[in-house]
Amino acid sequence: MKPRHHLDEATVLSFAAGALSPEMVAVAATHMEVCGLCRERLSGAERIGGALLGQQQPAVGDTARGARLREAMLGLLDEEPKIEASQAAAPASSNDAPAADCLPSPLQPYFGRSWRALRWRWMAPGVHMIRAARGSGDTLILLKIAPGKSMPMHSHQGTELTQILQGAYNDALGHFAPGDVADLDNEIEHQPITAPGVPCVCVAALDAPLRFPGWLARRLQPLVGL
Amino acid sequence: MSSSDPQVRDAGYWSAQMAAVSLRRDRDSFMRIYDHFAPRTRLYLKGLGCPEAVAEELAQEALLRLWQAAGRYDATRSSLSTWLFRIARNLHIDRVRREPYWVPMDDEPGWVDKDDASGFSSAESHAEQVELQQRIEHLPAIQARLIRMSYFEAKSHQEIAEELGMPLGTVKSSLRRAFLRLQLGVRGQA
Repeated sequence: MKPRHHLDEATVLSFAAGALSPEMVAVAATHMEVCGLCRERLSGAERIGGALLGQQQPAVGDTARGARLREAMLGLLDEEPKIEASQAAAPASSNDAPAADCLPSPLQPYFGRSWRALRWRWMAPGVHMIRAARGSGDTLILLKIAPGKSMPMHSHQGTELTQILQGAYNDALGHFAPGDVADLDNEIEHQPITAPGVPCVCVAALDAPLRFPGWLARRLQPLVGL
Repeated sequence: MSSSDPQVRDAGYWSAQMAAVSLRRDRDSFMRIYDHFAPRTRLYLKGLGCPEAVAEELAQEALLRLWQAAGRYDATRSSLSTWLFRIARNLHIDRVRREPYWVPMDDEPGWVDKDDASGFSSAESHAEQVELQQRIEHLPAIQARLIRMSYFEAKSHQEIAEELGMPLGTVKSSLRRAFLRLQLGVRGQA
């Protein structure tokens, strides 16, 4: 899987800066797991962070306090490092489900580990969805759309970040297949049509409501709370 | 930062200090790193909105991680300041923003190389670090402002757009241009 559609550099930069919402991070990290190019860009964006950290100019101020902190640090150097619970626990827990049934790890905290255990909700003919129950305020959804379906034309008030997990779709921006990410903002109106064959499964993070025109909006928006 | 400051030392100097920590558990080298970077890390964390005491606590923890994980440091992969930035950023997200679902990228340098097929080298030379510093100093004012709001205030594109009254698309394209400008020297390509 070599993705052909990538994260916007501005998104990668905000990821490195720690300025994306957790929902956006979940989708961006899912893409980075399979995309060497975006990981490389992330590394570049983290270097900018390192350079900015190095450029900080601390005031020469409370030296007594600084000296106390320094003493405290010297005292800590002989302590045995604590192994963090999260680091220690991670390798064991990832073996629960067979590899083929595993969701990408950045999505597991929201949707669980297993594809088969997902509880899809019917939303419209050929469209199923799961909305992550907990989050920061942005929306994170898994979408499953039957092959050969035309999705409603829609635009966005904010950002929509969508990673393709299975199947494929086409829109004015091109062909989106597993591994590809669509990083869209409010200047784009699009109408995805899923490819024939298998259902298109994708994960999307939204930071503002979708805007559907017409009858579908009136039917869908109260239903899904988007 | 002015290069006339006698305290200013380049990335190569800090890598050498860290190598001494890594190879010999050299306390003096570590405390030189501490003396230089701890105030800078505290300042970074305060900028993100941490109260003074929290910034101090997290900065201590970030520096201690350098000491404890020194054996895994590879100077050819990443500068010390980049590694420390990752650690401090991740600590802030874990502890202050308390985002339980944040899936942190590895603190450790070199994780990018997990995928050998990516075809990129993540090596970071000291000369590149110096050039990056210079490029940051010469960013156009608006790009510099957006970079600072992203890295030092952790503001999203939308938040920046609202605060500055700029269209979202303009925020993104300005950040994109800033990123490309800063990558230019690092990558040796346009």
